Amino acid sequence: MFHNSSRGLFTLLLMLLEWTRPGLPSPLRPICDLRVLKHFIEEARDAQAAMLTCKEGCGLPEPVTVPQTKVDFSIWERKNALEQAQEVQSGLWLLNQAIGSLRASVTNTALQSHIDNSLINIFRIGKVLHSLNIQECNPPAGGVSGGEETWRVSSASELLQVHVNFLRGKLQLLLSNAPICH
Amino acid sequence: KKMTNDNLNKLLVFCVLFCAQKTSIVHGAQALETKVTLLLHAEPENPKCFAEGMSDLTCFWEEDEERAGFTDQYSFIYTYQNENSSECSITALPAAGGKRLYFCRLSQTQLFVPLDIRVFRDDLLIHNRSLFIELVFLLDPPANLTLTSTGTQGQLKASWLPPSLKYMGDSMMYEVSYTMAGSHIGKVEEVQASSELILRGLQSGTKYKVRIRVKLDGISYSGYWSTWTDPVLMETMPGDLDPLIVSLSLIISLVLTLLSLLVLMSHRRFLLKKIWPIIPTPESKFQGLFKVYGGDFQEWLGHSTGGLWLRPAYFYSEEFPAPLEVLSEVSLGPALPSSALPPKASETLGEEDEDEKLKRVDSALMERWRETPQEHWPMDQLRAIHQHPAPWTQSSLLESHDAYVTLNAQNHSGEEPLDDILEETLPLQVLFASGRTSSESRSDLGSFQQSSGLGRLSSQSSFEYPNHTWPPKGPGYTYMAVADSGVSMDYSPMSSSKIDDIGKGVIYTNEYKNEIPAHRRPIGTPIHFAF
Repeated sequence: MFHNSSRGLFTLLLMLLEWTRPGLPSPLRPICDLRVLKHFIEEARDAQAAMLTCKEGCGLPEPVTVPQTKVDFSIWERKNALEQAQEVQSGLWLLNQAIGSLRASVTNTALQSHIDNSLINIFRIGKVLHSLNIQECNPPAGGVSGGEETWRVSSASELLQVHVNFLRGKLQLLLSNAPICH
Repeated sequence: KKMTNDNLNKLLVFCVLFCAQKTSIVHGAQALETKVTLLLHAEPENPKCFAEGMSDLTCFWEEDEERAGFTDQYSFIYTYQNENSSECSITALPAAGGKRLYFCRLSQTQLFVPLDIRVFRDDLLIHNRSLFIELVFLLDPPANLTLTSTGTQGQLKASWLPPSLKYMGDSMMYEVSYTMAGSHIGKVEEVQASSELILRGLQSGTKYKVRIRVKLDGISYSGYWSTWTDPVLMETMPGDLDPLIVSLSLIISLVLTLLSLLVLMSHRRFLLKKIWPIIPTPESKFQGLFKVYGGDFQEWLGHSTGGLWLRPAYFYSEEFPAPLEVLSEVSLGPALPSSALPPKASETLGEEDEDEKLKRVDSALMERWRETPQEHWPMDQLRAIHQHPAPWTQSSLLESHDAYVTLNAQNHSGEEPLDDILEETLPLQVLFASGRTSSESRSDLGSFQQSSGLGRLSSQSSFEYPNHTWPPKGPGYTYMAVADSGVSMDYSPMSSSKIDDIGKGVIYTNEYKNEIPAHRRPIGTPIHFAF
């Protein structure tokens, strides 16, 4: 009798585990609403404005590599979707690195919160791109420097301006033309 | 000939193309002129720059004609971030008001990167500016603005064609202005990233003027408001009765009708009386006169219990009626045996036949009076009584068969008009026992009960007090002694109170006319009136 009840209990447990078993993650819903990006851009602008008012404790320890933000439409349109995606993803990666190093050197508390916000937003942008099936790219082999699409900045305000311009330009173009949204 | 034909054909084609181009050039020039004018007002910095498409930039500045130099004196240098400088070729155009405009147009641009512009005149820097090209868009106004009816009252649908710019459709912001035709006060509505808008809250059956302009929203791209489109006119649907208003007004009218009906029903008697007044009949005053006796007044008089009316003249004296106490003659004779007592009469006298009763009373009194000798004038007797006011109970005056009537009038202010008394008063019963014949007594006897009006008159009859307990009235009683000798009547006012009080108060003396013919009355019968 004891045996029967234990068997039943065991079966029940198995069933429960089956239900609660962590399965494959469900595919993300594509985020096509550009208001999300608008939100990111506005927060980046706030960070840039805050940096302009900062007098002390808000400098880069050393120059950092940042992506190029300029967009020539005639050239941009000639690139295919993959190239565009790669350009945007690598640029985001660079920005992430650069702002991360800025975060370490900034002592101003108000500015620190802005920078933290910017870093979180870059992470969120990655998620948005992922939802649009735009794959994350691996960092270019051979290090950080190099490529036509990069340049170096030495001041924090320049870095944050690049951040804003990048979001407004290349990222926005990529998101607004994501094939999954049309 | 062939060659001429070909030449002609070529010429024709050339002309057509030229004309078309000229039109477009003219059109373009007009558009440019508009934009220039707009920017001259909107942009304070120099040079003023604007982008019309994805890869162009037009910059210009203004100079007075007098101080203007040749175009080659000027140089327009532009530098993108992290790039080398470049130069733009300048063109000059005359402008209104004695001005000159210098233009520079770039056909390939880079967005999302700062652009540095410097203008030199003879190697002298005259203008310096840094800008983002994607932030200085000045678009053409939307095309094909059309107005349609939505099918609903007070609404119009405006639709347009957005500027055909790639990647910017979601960033476009529109402003729709609509005014009533002929009015200057208009409303403005904004809409984002759309190509149509429904205008609500419009007046029915009115013509509206609508126009639109476009601008970029300022997140990724920005710029200036475009010029307004040419206005488009459209009339809204004709007015229709708002169903809500109609239903509400119906309900209100229904409620009002119900209320008025209720009021009418509650006051229907009053209204009927006013509109259709009942013809008054005297039937209520004469019990049984019409029903029983068929209008024969004589018959009715003979059988009625209502008695006689007192003539109204009794009531309408100038003063308020004062208490009246009627005493019979002063007599020193012994009291009659109780057997001679007239039957006790109640106030209403409703139990016995009036005629018989009176006869009994008359006979008793006649007897009585015959017996008593008239030794003294009753006046002297009265005076004697007054000097020694003995309780009435012990006075020989209080013969049980004598009739005493007291009328107590409480002087109310004469609120009610005299008409009411005529209509409303019921008979007041007073017994005048004065030894008259029954026929006369009938005419004289009045029965009246006054319920309201001048005052309350209560009548008391001595028949109610068989035990000689005629209650003496209040202290300030004024009497008028009347002595009737058969020839003349003597009146003298007296007071029941002490002699000292006689002087107090006002004693009213009214002439009383005894209606009974003198020969009918027994001679020597004094009639005393006290009031």
